[in-house]
Amino acid sequence: MDTPLTTAGRKIRLLVTLLCGMTLLAGTVWGRDDHFPFGPFRMYSTSSPPDAPAPDTRVEGIDTTGTVVPLDQHNTGIRRAEIEGQRDRYVADPGRLRGVADAYATRNPAASVLVEVRIVIRWHGVRNGRPTGRSTDETVARWQP
Amino acid sequence: MSHVGRWLTEPVPRGRIAAFRTLVYLFVAADLVLFTPWVRTHASVPGELYQPLFLGRLLPLPTPTPLLVTTIFWLLLPLSLLAASGRAPRALGWPVFLLYFEWMIIAMSYGKVDHDRFGLLVALAALPTAAAARHGDDTRSEAGGWALRVTQIAVVCTYFLAAWAKLRFGGLEWLTGSVLARAVIRRGTDFADTIAQVPWLLVVAQFGIVAFELAGPLAFVLRERWRRYAVAVFYSFHLMTFATITISFAPHLVAMTSFLPLERVRPVVWLRQLGRWTAGSLARHGRVEQPVVGSAPVGEPPVPTG
Repeated sequence: MDTPLTTAGRKIRLLVTLLCGMTLLAGTVWGRDDHFPFGPFRMYSTSSPPDAPAPDTRVEGIDTTGTVVPLDQHNTGIRRAEIEGQRDRYVADPGRLRGVADAYATRNPAASVLVEVRIVIRWHGVRNGRPTGRSTDETVARWQP
Repeated sequence: MSHVGRWLTEPVPRGRIAAFRTLVYLFVAADLVLFTPWVRTHASVPGELYQPLFLGRLLPLPTPTPLLVTTIFWLLLPLSLLAASGRAPRALGWPVFLLYFEWMIIAMSYGKVDHDRFGLLVALAALPTAAAARHGDDTRSEAGGWALRVTQIAVVCTYFLAAWAKLRFGGLEWLTGSVLARAVIRRGTDFADTIAQVPWLLVVAQFGIVAFELAGPLAFVLRERWRRYAVAVFYSFHLMTFATITISFAPHLVAMTSFLPLERVRPVVWLRQLGRWTAGSLARHGRVEQPVVGSAPVGEPPVPTG
């Protein structure tokens, strides 16, 4: 036997569906990531010319022994995409990279102290929408205590 | 209006709701420890790197601390496992939704917002409104039908509105640009590196992706059999995405099971049948004695409702 909804139950569900749908649509048309979960589904949504170099960002530190330490989500808890998402802030104020060094120290208390943290972008060559295999590195933010 | 209302609440077997509920809540537990374990690592990230999202500022939600992150984790994990049992769908379902939502605010407030779980969030918000349901129950429920329907709509919106976002942010140039080449450079597999060398293949694929995403809503106008084929195409798309750039969209894939007749998937029943078949087979060969009376009833025990 079916279990019917009451008229009120059906109306409320219809109303909630419409409200959420309109909010999501508005988020797609005018919103930003900030409006999660109703923001635009903008993964891979920006475009680049077929011959524009492709950025590959990495964060690395140098410890007291001079060793270069790759800093990733495993040893800092910060994802690469999160560094990229806040890149402008790090470039405007490289002192914010101290937070990355602190996160590394918290998660690796036995490791050597970092004396430098930097954001490096490796620009990969692209031609006609295909990788060329050539690249150049650019340091966009650098912090030293 | 009433036609739309009937479509939105088209009744489905309660067994389907029970199976979807179990799957979704088991996924939440798995998400915590397997799929997005990095959310927990935000506990060690300094609060100054926290950039709360609009809802985080509006409510306002606290800046994550190790205590907050650890508390939510250890509340959410057992609650989601309990909810997967189907017991107390409201009393367990609402806390799981609210805690997981806060978990996602913590996840997305450090500079990167993922777009792979709108359907899952809708499912978590809608499931507590569906009636209690037992596995294998054929009784149809309109409340359960609505929970599945809005999840399906969220899944389809994820595709269609992703195409819209590409046109909004990338413009028509997105189609002929180098977005896939960039994706392959950043996180391509060996397979992706190989096919990326085929002239213009990635550009053709970009046209294909937008066409596929724009066509998503057609799933709702297809007949049932063809809709299942369409869902198979959806899954194939994500299989290809995973094989090339290792992005799984796992929460979305779970939400997409709302299109499937999940009530037919009865692992516990199958295991029992296998056990009985094995026992019977051994008995026929004289290795164990046949049970004398009162063999176990067919099917799973009813899940208490609440």
